[in-house]
Amino acid sequence: MWKGVGLQAKINREKQEMDPVEYTLRKRLPRKLPKRRNDVYVNMKTDFRAQLARCQKLLESGGHREICVHGLGLAINRAINIALQLQASSQGMLQLAANTSTVELVDDLEPEDPDEAGEPMTRTRNNSAIHIKVFYPDPQ
Amino acid sequence: MSSSKAKMWEKKMRHQPTSVQYSSTPNGGDAPVSGTYLWWSMCRLCADCVQTVCRLCAGGAFARARAAEVSAMLKAVNRTTGKCHVFGSLPKHMRRRAMSHNTKRLPLRLRDRANRMSLKAGSKKEPAKNKSRKARRRHGNMLLEFNRRQRKNVWLETHIWHAKRFIMVKKWGYCLGHRPTNKCYRPCYRAMNSHCLLQDHSYYCCIELQGEESTLLASLSRLTSKEAGPTFAAAMTLSGQRQGSVVVYRAGQYPLQPLGPVTFLWRPQIQGSTIRQLWIWAHPTIKKDLLPELQTVCECCEAVVPSINLMGTPAEVVPTTECEQKPNETPEAKQITGTKRKKTCKDATGPPTKKIIGDGTRSPTTPITWKSSSTGVIINDLTMEMVRFRLIGPQSLTVLSETLETAGVHKSKPSSLWWSEQCKDESKRSLHQEQSDIYRLLKGIHLTGELPPGTVLGLTVEDPRLTLPTKKVVALPHVKQSEEKSRELMLKGVPKHCCQSYLWERSVRDNVTENKISEQELNRRRSEMLVPGSRLTPTPPQSRIPILLVHQPGKQVGCEMMSWGAGWDLLLPKGWGMAFWVPLVYRGVRIGGLNMSLKHSQIKGVPHFPHDYPDCPSGVAFQEEQEAELLKTFKRRPPAKRTNYIKHGCLAPFRCPWQQLAEEWEPIRWNRERRKTVRSKQRQSVTSFSLHDLLNCHEWISAAFMLSRNRKSLRLLSGWCRPTTSKGQRPCRVGDQPPLNHSAVMSFLTAHRMSLVWVRLSTLSKGKPEPHAMVCVPTAEDLQLLNKGPGSSGPQEPPHGDHFKSRIKHKKKGLRKAATSSLSEMSHLSASEPKPSSSKEPDPSQSSSDLTFGLWPDPLPRVTSHCCRLTLGWATQGDFSLSVGCGEALGFVCVAGLLKTLSNQPMEHRGMLLLRNPTSLHYRFVKLTIEV
Repeated sequence: MWKGVGLQAKINREKQEMDPVEYTLRKRLPRKLPKRRNDVYVNMKTDFRAQLARCQKLLESGGHREICVHGLGLAINRAINIALQLQASSQGMLQLAANTSTVELVDDLEPEDPDEAGEPMTRTRNNSAIHIKVFYPDPQ
Repeated sequence: MSSSKAKMWEKKMRHQPTSVQYSSTPNGGDAPVSGTYLWWSMCRLCADCVQTVCRLCAGGAFARARAAEVSAMLKAVNRTTGKCHVFGSLPKHMRRRAMSHNTKRLPLRLRDRANRMSLKAGSKKEPAKNKSRKARRRHGNMLLEFNRRQRKNVWLETHIWHAKRFIMVKKWGYCLGHRPTNKCYRPCYRAMNSHCLLQDHSYYCCIELQGEESTLLASLSRLTSKEAGPTFAAAMTLSGQRQGSVVVYRAGQYPLQPLGPVTFLWRPQIQGSTIRQLWIWAHPTIKKDLLPELQTVCECCEAVVPSINLMGTPAEVVPTTECEQKPNETPEAKQITGTKRKKTCKDATGPPTKKIIGDGTRSPTTPITWKSSSTGVIINDLTMEMVRFRLIGPQSLTVLSETLETAGVHKSKPSSLWWSEQCKDESKRSLHQEQSDIYRLLKGIHLTGELPPGTVLGLTVEDPRLTLPTKKVVALPHVKQSEEKSRELMLKGVPKHCCQSYLWERSVRDNVTENKISEQELNRRRSEMLVPGSRLTPTPPQSRIPILLVHQPGKQVGCEMMSWGAGWDLLLPKGWGMAFWVPLVYRGVRIGGLNMSLKHSQIKGVPHFPHDYPDCPSGVAFQEEQEAELLKTFKRRPPAKRTNYIKHGCLAPFRCPWQQLAEEWEPIRWNRERRKTVRSKQRQSVTSFSLHDLLNCHEWISAAFMLSRNRKSLRLLSGWCRPTTSKGQRPCRVGDQPPLNHSAVMSFLTAHRMSLVWVRLSTLSKGKPEPHAMVCVPTAEDLQLLNKGPGSSGPQEPPHGDHFKSRIKHKKKGLRKAATSSLSEMSHLSASEPKPSSSKEPDPSQSSSDLTFGLWPDPLPRVTSHCCRLTLGWATQGDFSLSVGCGEALGFVCVAGLLKTLSNQPMEHRGMLLLRNPTSLHYRFVKLTIEV
């Protein structure tokens, strides 16, 4: 569900600007943890309305008291947007609790001329992520 | 009535001697004595003719003739007529139905004879009767039958499992599962996407090369080129840590004459040895070309004839040197063990009642090893020597880790088994420990795509049959939070020494194959256990198997859906296929056939072999086969129900005439060039190319087309194809790429004459592309349509006229007339009539002999300009893509045409093309991407 990352990061091009010929950059997938039913990973490829509708369905007819909206990199904006929209449309029933984190991403650098350049390298870089818990507060 | 009487008479007279004439000799039945007496009295009466009569008939001869007549008559009375049944002698009114089956319907006097006759007839049929089912199902007989049936097309080890569940096809000398008989297209896709899909890839052929590293690399470098990507010498693969893949060409012929894609794996260097080992895995259709090519580049022409004296030795631990023929190859070498029947042949030539493991089609004396006296390189053909299973999907590691357990080290008494030998050595034990540690870490990794692509891990595992669950379960991941160690594994991959496996050694492989516990024996031991269903303890010492796990990288090109379809390949020694297959199936994987491999590479966007390699010999053969097959299905329909491809303006619905396409785009390009050259000469009087080049263009045209695999130029092309705004949001940075202008195009085209390029086309809105769909150039007006909105559909092709229809009709009429031979001039008329209408068509009536309704006859007109939009290329595969959610096609387009189109298109519509299915007149907009 982190698929959106590939599109936005564009580190590919930056790297190519650094050493244009020697290396090709291949990004690996971000590490994935098992997904619960109420986890929503937001990406930039799927239509925004569809993702919002999915969250609403989970909260209303899915019977979940809380859902978790995750966004990585460029998708952080969209994750926040979704969470706020959910809250606005619920007439104050829903509450939000946001957490941020840093995700380590791995890139493979493949030498363009593999015979001379020797070892392919791997590089790690960090990207920010947000995890927003959207929940109905417990009635006191 | 009279005719039937005549027939009866004829039948009766059939067996009469020809001399007998009832009417002429009414006294034939009389006694001979009286006859002579009569004759004698007659002679006395006419004394004048006495002389003559006495000369004609002597008494004895006359009597003999009468006797013959009598006996013939008696015979005719006693005998039924001819070969007919006894009831032939019955009058018609007494005959009954089914008398021939049931003799009791006959009158009593005939019953005896009828019984005798039916016995006689029955005795002939008796030996033709089949063996009883019980006899046929006996183990030995069944194996004999199986061995006979795979003489032509080899069976994989999982054949019987597949044959029960799959539609089997005979391809490339193997029996392979094409697709499952149950409906599971979407479940299989889902398995690839989110769980695990299993395939048997054992039909891939392995060729082993042994020799000094430098000599091997020097000779192999002639087969490949650095331009097309990493070669055999790439540092990471050379160390044995990664599996590599490469497209092989004929020696020194790059970029012409490719053979096909292969994957290869180097054995990690053993300390103190300079000899390296290399496995090249190739498709069976490549193998027959690749093997001679390897022999020439390595100068290995000495075939080592397998030694015959090995045949008698019992097949057990054979410390084979490479030149020796495996005893398993020779069916005669099989010891007949455990056969209860008396049939066990005493002579060695008798058929073996043991299952042939490996390649049974090969005759035992066919050489499989070649060595070179000058370079010391040894080539081994390891076809069917190993089993290769492919697991595709993110959960394939989970499935593997549930199925396989690393072998325990055992310190028992020495035996002939390989594992106990290995366990004696301290260093080997520690290596095994390290490998199992890494394997344990791998279990914690959730997705297969998180690992370095092409990682190799050698392991020794226990027999998975021992841990077979009683019920099918679905393997679920157990993810631990990332530790430092697993992070390092993800970054660096498996360390070099852990890629070593005993699978590389032939002696170990043979030992493991020979000492496999049979299913029967295993079940017997299980039944002896006190608690039913518990694990067999202690583990039988035979069940330690060396394996290799090879990571298969998923989608690596492009920038969407990265590492989709990643998975693992499991390499096993032969004979162990089913022992690993069933436990894997019990972990809830889906099984895919050949069509799923096609879909897998289609979604990954990579060319599939042999479908998408039209420049390789096997690709050409495949295209011809496919055309013949499609034509056959097309012709099976009645003409009125066929698609009329001529009316659809589709010249070649069943094949793609690449050569013609490439040839036709060359002059178009060069005409344009000439015009531009003249113009630019007038302007600046400096040109980047001379007229000399233009004159040479004729000889280029005669050359064969080729596929562009040069990475740098592909990257350049891919940059040019990209629209400058992606989804209209942000400008794409092109980097330091030269802009698409005239001089850049020219220099590119001079470097790539007659070349095609592999592209991916995805529809913008509607449309499901089909194979052999045409890729066309949109006009400026079409692109205006695109501005209206995303939902706008493309232009329409005006229906074409079918000039051949009338000709076929006339021909038919002419044939009918000719058959009745009434009007010969009519056929002349029919031949001459269509000429004025088809004067512009290149096809006169000479090819009307093979006219098929709805298809364009063979010498095709210009394929590029046949329709109202210029044709750039064709799609070789096309379908609705479940992963993207729109129609997607893969195919080739002509580089010259593509560049011309791109340079004419406005910046925001770069890479927009049209696609039209062969059965439709509707053009659909597609976006073209070249993924590098």
